[in-house]
Order: sequence, then structure tokens, then C-alpha cells
Amino acid sequence: MIKRAFLSGVVLTIMILFLLDTGVSFQDQEKEVLELKLPKPMFVGTPRNIRSPNLEKITGKRRGPFYVPKGTEPLSLKKPVTGSDTEPVIGEIEFVTDGEKSGEEGYYVEFGPLVQWVQIDLEDSFLLHAILVWHYHSQARVYRDVIVQVSEDPDFITDVRTIFNNDHDNSTGLGVGKDKEYIETNEGRLIDPRGVKARYVRLYSRGNTSNEMNHYVEVEVYGTPSNE
Amino acid sequence: MSKKAAFFGLFLLVVCAALLFRTVRLDLRPMHHDEANQAVKFGDLLEKGTYRYDPNEHHGPSLYYLSLPFAWISSGTSFASLDEKTLRMVPAIFGVGVVLLLLLLRGGYSSSTIFFSGILAAVSPVMVYYNRFYIQETLLVFFLVGAIATSWRYHQDRTWGWAAATGFFCGMVYATKETSLIVFGSLIASLLLARIFEKRNGRKGFILSHFLAFLGTALVSSFLLFSSFFQNPRGILDSVVAFRTYFERAAEAGFHSYPWSYYLKMLAFSRYGDGPIWSEALILVLALVGCIAAFRPGSDKDSHPLFMRFVCFYAIVSTAIYSLIPYKTPWNMLPFYIGIVLLAGNGTAFLLESSKKLIIQSLIVVILGVGFYHLGMQSFRANFEYHADPRNPYVYAQTSMDFLNLVHRIDDLAQYHPDRREMLIKVITYADEAWPLPWYLRGFSRVGYWEEAEEAGDMSEAPLIISSVDKTEKLWSRLKETHQAEFYGLRPEVLLILHIKKDLWDEFLEKKPVK
Repeated sequence: MIKRAFLSGVVLTIMILFLLDTGVSFQDQEKEVLELKLPKPMFVGTPRNIRSPNLEKITGKRRGPFYVPKGTEPLSLKKPVTGSDTEPVIGEIEFVTDGEKSGEEGYYVEFGPLVQWVQIDLEDSFLLHAILVWHYHSQARVYRDVIVQVSEDPDFITDVRTIFNNDHDNSTGLGVGKDKEYIETNEGRLIDPRGVKARYVRLYSRGNTSNEMNHYVEVEVYGTPSNE
Repeated sequence: MSKKAAFFGLFLLVVCAALLFRTVRLDLRPMHHDEANQAVKFGDLLEKGTYRYDPNEHHGPSLYYLSLPFAWISSGTSFASLDEKTLRMVPAIFGVGVVLLLLLLRGGYSSSTIFFSGILAAVSPVMVYYNRFYIQETLLVFFLVGAIATSWRYHQDRTWGWAAATGFFCGMVYATKETSLIVFGSLIASLLLARIFEKRNGRKGFILSHFLAFLGTALVSSFLLFSSFFQNPRGILDSVVAFRTYFERAAEAGFHSYPWSYYLKMLAFSRYGDGPIWSEALILVLALVGCIAAFRPGSDKDSHPLFMRFVCFYAIVSTAIYSLIPYKTPWNMLPFYIGIVLLAGNGTAFLLESSKKLIIQSLIVVILGVGFYHLGMQSFRANFEYHADPRNPYVYAQTSMDFLNLVHRIDDLAQYHPDRREMLIKVITYADEAWPLPWYLRGFSRVGYWEEAEEAGDMSEAPLIISSVDKTEKLWSRLKETHQAEFYGLRPEVLLILHIKKDLWDEFLEKKPVK
């Protein structure tokens, strides 16, 4: 009995090994490493040199209507602005809320490299319904790590709420953002604060695709009075 | 110290300045589209030992063959191990060679003219900027100056050796760029014009054996390179066929079409936006003085009138031809600008020698000193501060500094992908928006380039996809669930989008070192 069981075991083991081996062979025969023949790049002549500003839209369609509660008003015009760079490279920090949105020279403020911010004091708490940002729209470029936060605290230590963040790799250290990067256009970037209540609005950036500087042409904040 | 020793001591300083300006931080500027094109073409020669002259693109073969020793020394035969410094060292060293070749002009030009020409060639911003560019222009200028210098030596000392040397340099001019036709035309026209003013008794007879030595070396040097050392004899014929291509391109300049004044305006005065003022007007003004010197008998007793007039006519004729051709790019200035620089050197020496009073001479020295310093400062600014900034007039369709962030991101991501540098990368861009990616992705073994997304097959599994903005609209719907997108600047107004597969991105976010 034991002998038969032993022999059966041996035969079974040999069969399993044979099948496994055959299986591997089948696998070898049926599959192989796919040798991809990837196309090579085409050789072409010197590309166009672009030096002049381009005010045309590069991609996308015009922004559709954006609905806000009745009575929503612009809140930021001529309101006090502060920033991380107290001595801008170009322009004045007041340009951020002066109502001028032209893309030409002389209408934007330029801050130095790395993470920089501007902060608008609305001088009272409001329910915020729209924030429009123009960093620099004379050229197709993308600003990195655009983060918009609001707060009742001028130092942004407490009560900080982030309403836009496209710092997807957390290079600013303010948390990973899920919003998308976007190309600057003359329409500006519309951010929906969803009626959040705040007095201060702070906008961060960290250079752009054309250079390492940070720019602001204009920031507009829209909202309604807070009844509290 | 003898006058001769003082001259060589000072000239050595000029050579050192030329060397410093040209060889320091050659990796600072991202590779230009055209440089990357040349580098990838050279990569085939380096790794596979194959080269075929292409009559439609890339210009002549001299750049590739002369790059070989530089590459062998620095990275052997591996294209992936090659770097920008090694490639750009080729034009940089030949740029210094241009200054050294001026020493052969003695007898044609006085020592002081050679010295001042050397200073101006060493510090001229446009010369320095494009001597650090891995394209053919610097070699063209080197062989052109070599041809002028050796033919002058032949004029002075009629031996078959100088005739053969002239032939060699002329052959190499031809083997460098198709625009050599303009250069040869300008040289012949200038020689004929200069001879009009020469006394007939000054002319020397024709020696057939010397002419044959000249012709033989010219043909051998150029044909060897065009035929890939007889591996592709068709290349010799193609080098002639190519003239048609380049004539058509010159006439139908497309977006490289500029008015006749483009080069001279750029040299005289440029300012873009809030950038600094750029000007090589000093060289232009000194060249005008050089024109006067060339036609004033006895203006410079150590310079030969024939040679001075020849250089003067070369500068005028070549500048006129290059300016009249609609197709213009800033680096095309070099072959005629070297004539202007030599003429300016002549003008500088003339100014100093013709002013008799010490006070005027001192004043000229001070003005020239300030002017040379200003040129040097502009060179520094152009190459070490504004090297990729569109506010620099010599920055033309240059790759943005931000492009290097894309390269770094791809390198970083590869560390977290199981296939490492065998990771599949799909590039879907217009042909002119793909460069210089092939250079920067040379270390990745699986990179494919397509112009249309439909041709690139399944996208969802590709760890990295790089696309032009215009090509991305079709991709968004397919990739928005599977990939994370980032924008990078390629050139002013031209952006690329890097799509990173989400699992790779999550892995990267989780494991990347915290700064």
C-alpha cells in the first residue's frame, strides 16, 4: 500500500513537473518581448524666433458665463496690497488692485524668483464669490504653484482656507494641490471661492515657464457683504 | 624687452581672454534646436561610424568629423555619455584658433593692427556668443581666416607649401557650409577690386605647379569629407546638388525673412523690453575708419596696401550679399563680421598712428579702453547672464531655461519607474517642437516621436507622454483619468506638456526626497 502510494506520488510529481515544464515552453513559444520600433524625430530647420508679445489666445475656448449671487460687487479695487517682495524688480505693488489689466509693459509688478505672494486686504469681511487673476498675459506661459488662500487673519496663521492650489508636487510646502496648471490668457483665471467668508486674500506663485520671476498684472475679488 | 617679445606677450593675453570667454561654463545655456540637431547627427557618426551627407539639412561634414577627437577624449564612443561641454568645446577652440590665425597676417597687416583685430575678435559679443554654439559658423570663419592668411603668406613667400595650405583651408570652407559659395564669391570679388588699385609692376606670375597643389588639396580635403572617406562617393555630387536647396531656402526665407538692415541694426543698437542696451557700434565705427585707412597711401607703413584694400572690399561685399539675402539668422553674421572686425583692427591702429599729439593719442587710448571694456562686459552679459534670455539680441529661437526643468523631472521620475531608463516615452509634437528632446533623452532607450496622437497607439499605459499644447486637446479626454499633466516652456510662446502616469506620479510623490 505504502509502496503503491509512494509510486503514485512519484508519478504524479513527474506529471506535474512535466506539465509545468510544458506550460513554460508554451509560454515561451506564445510570448516574446515586444520589440518596439519607435519612430525617430524628424530633422527640421531652425524654428521661428518669437520675441514680440502675443495677445492671441493659444488654446481653449472663451470662458462661458459665471453665475454669482445678486448684489455681488468688486471688492478689491484700490484696496491695500502687501507682498513677500517689498522691493519689486519692476513696477509697484499697487498695480495689483489698480484696475489696469493691460498686458503691456508698465502694467505689471515683478517679484523675484522662488515662492512669492501678494495679499489684498478687503478692509472688511465679505462673502467671496469670484477671484480673477492675471499674472502676465502678453505671452503664452504657465505660472507654477499658483495657490490662493483666504483668511480673517492678516498673518495667515489661523483660519487659513485654500480655494485654489495647483502645486501638485508640494514644492511650496503648503500642501499638494489638485487643481490644474493653466496657460495665461487675457481673460485671466477665474477662481470660485464658493461664498467663503474672509477679509484677506493671498496669492502664491513660484516662477513660470518663461523665467523664474513672479508677476501680477491684476487681481479682482468679487463678493457680497457679510451679514454677521 | 624687445618690441617683438612685448607684442607676443600682449597677444598671449588676448588669446587667454578669448579662451576664457569661450570655454567657461559651456553647459550654462540649454541646447538650441539646431545644436541638438547637429549633436544627434554627430551621435550616429560617433556610435555607428556612419555619416552620409544630406543635401537638404545639416550643412557640411567638417563639424562632425572634427568633433570626433573631442568626443573620444571625453566620452569614448558612447553618445549617451557625451555632454554639451564637449560638443561646444569644438567651436570654442576653433574660435580661439581664429584669433591665433591672425598672426599669419603679418606683412599684410602691421603688428598693431593684428593686435587690435585680435582684441576685437576675442571680446566681440556676437563672435563669443556663437563661438559657444555647436553649429558650423565658427568653423566656417576659422577656415575662411585660414584661407585668407595662408593665401597672404603665399603672396609673400611663393612656395607650394603655402599654396597647398590655402587649398586645404578652401576645401574645408567648402566642406563646412553651403554658404561657402557666398564667401568664395566675396573673396574673388574683393581680390579683383583690390587689384584695380594695385600697380601693375607689383603683380607676380602664375605658377602651374603651385596652382595644382592648391587645387589638389582643396579637392582632396573637401571630397574626403563629403564622400565620408569614400564610403559614400555620392556625397560629392550631393554637395553640389545642395546648392539648389539652399538657394531656394535663401529666396523663400519664410519666417526667417528680414529686411536688409537686420544685421547692421542688430550690431549697432538693440534693446528689447526692459532689457539692457546692446551695441557693437564701436567696431562698426572703427571699421569705417579702417576703410579710410585702406585707401590712404602710407597710412600704416607696416601694412600692405593690397591686403588692407582686400579686407576692406571683403567686408563691404560680404556684408552687402548677406544683408541682401532675405533669409537671415544672427549666426549668419559671422562670415562677414570677421571682415568688419579685421577692418576695425586696421582702423584702430590707424587712429593711434595718425594722431601726432600725445594728448589726443592719450584720449583715443582712453576711449578705446572704455570701448573694449564695454564690449567685454556685453560679452559677459550675453554669455553668462542673458544666455537664454530673449532680451539678448543674439538669442534666436533659443530653448528656454525652463526646458531643463522638464529634463530634470523626467530624470527624477525614471528613478521610480521599474524600467528606469528603458521606460517608454511617447513624444507627440510638431517636428520643430520635438527638439532638443532627442539630445536630452539620448540616455533613454525607448523614446518614440510622432506628429499625431492617433499614430502613437495606446496612450493609457505610457508612463510619460510629452505633447505640444495644440496636440493635447485630443489627448485630454484619453489621459485625464490616467495621467497628471505639467507645463514646461520650450521656447518663448511654445509650451510642452508632460503627462505622467498617475501610479508613477504617486510613487514619485511618496518616495521623492523632501527638500
